[in-house]
Amino acid sequence: MSAEVAEKQKTTATDWEPKIVALVCNWCTYAGADLAGISRLQYPPNVRLIRLPCSGRINPFYIVKALQHGADGVLVSGCHPGECHYISGNLSARRKFAFLENFLNYIGIEKDRTIFTWISASEGDKFARVIEEVTARVKALGPAEKLVKKLS
Amino acid sequence: MPNNIEQKIRDEARRLLTEKVVDVVVGYEEGTLPLLAAPCFITAPEEVDRLIFDASCKQNLAGYVHALIIEHRKSQARVKPEDKTEKTVAVIARGCTSRSIVIHLQERQYERENVVIIGVPCQGYIDKNKLSDKASGKEILAGKLDGDQVVIETAAGESRFPLEEVLAGSCLTCAWPNPVISDFMAGEEVAPRTTEDEFALVERFAAQDENQRWAYFEAEMNKCMRCYACRNVCPSCYCPTCFADQSQPEWVGAGINPSDNQVFQIMRMFHMAGRCVDCGSCVEVCAEGVDLRTFLKKLDYDDLKLYDHRAGVDLEKPSPLASFREDDPEEFILEP
Repeated sequence: MSAEVAEKQKTTATDWEPKIVALVCNWCTYAGADLAGISRLQYPPNVRLIRLPCSGRINPFYIVKALQHGADGVLVSGCHPGECHYISGNLSARRKFAFLENFLNYIGIEKDRTIFTWISASEGDKFARVIEEVTARVKALGPAEKLVKKLS
Repeated sequence: MPNNIEQKIRDEARRLLTEKVVDVVVGYEEGTLPLLAAPCFITAPEEVDRLIFDASCKQNLAGYVHALIIEHRKSQARVKPEDKTEKTVAVIARGCTSRSIVIHLQERQYERENVVIIGVPCQGYIDKNKLSDKASGKEILAGKLDGDQVVIETAAGESRFPLEEVLAGSCLTCAWPNPVISDFMAGEEVAPRTTEDEFALVERFAAQDENQRWAYFEAEMNKCMRCYACRNVCPSCYCPTCFADQSQPEWVGAGINPSDNQVFQIMRMFHMAGRCVDCGSCVEVCAEGVDLRTFLKKLDYDDLKLYDHRAGVDLEKPSPLASFREDDPEEFILEP
């Protein structure tokens, strides 16, 4: 690779901003994001929130499809265990996520591409911190290459 | 000349059919290719002599049990309630087949009364890929089992080797060679194999670098032509509409994009979490020889390590994704 090309890639790498899909629960994280907003907390604008009724509603396929369609990272967030609006949606979701996370890492997808967390409606500051952390982690990984559907 | 187990299977099948305990017996019969038995459906007592059982009997038959019972139920949809009938199916079941039946029962697919399990102790079956390597890729013209030896005949002549060398990967580490539930046992129980740790494969693969793992996954999935044979043979894949066939939403693209192969396989395998009995049928039917087991075994591994569960072993223990605990492990949860 010529020095010129390498230099060009370096600049595009710094200009590059990750696209992060966040699948969030309506009852906690989405309200947490609201709280972060009305509290005027700053967080990176790289995340696209998708509101779902419960983390238990998240089909693991959503995560895989987001990665396939070019998301650089996927954040999944629900209520803390024991605080589910539907009693146990997040508890059964936790098992699905554990299997999926382990499996995706096993086949070689970077660990920080899929991030799981719990944020309650009162944790606006935690929401802002999580988004900062996730954005930093995904930025460190660079653009997603694996599993991405490339149309030729 | 039927072996001891075959004789017992035939006698039991004859009795079940004559006494009209069951409508059909699902078993194996001599196939059209050497060393490859075919599944068969026996409905008349005089046909039971077709039944065989040896190392050429490969496929997990539980899928047929499910299909027969469910299809029969569907056909009864417009029958008056008082005229409705139930189908009773007998099946020749080795360890893995019986575990698949346990999964069906746990998932309330049919009742225990609908199925009669003729248990057989199993010493493993022949892997078609390993056999083909033994024949150096040449067409096998004839083959037979001779005790613990396999004799094959190709254009290059006859060769003989131990059965152990061509057994399927899942048979070599099989911990449940005997059925976990059965109504009748044809033959003495055999000891499980403990020669190699069944998860050594997973640990070896996980020890590799991330990019190496991805490269292997990508290369294996590129072989896949999405014929869906793995899905069709799998006893745990019985959804009326598979995600792979859905068009709204279209989960898996219809084209030949490698990414769609990967997504199809990831999701099919994910659906096996806590439900894969490692019978190896998907590996056996794969026309392209995709190494599915390395990946499926990982789900089995997590099932055991995270939730202390083994698929289909205990009827009372629910599958991991059908249950939860307050204190499930959650090291993967981010806490900034």
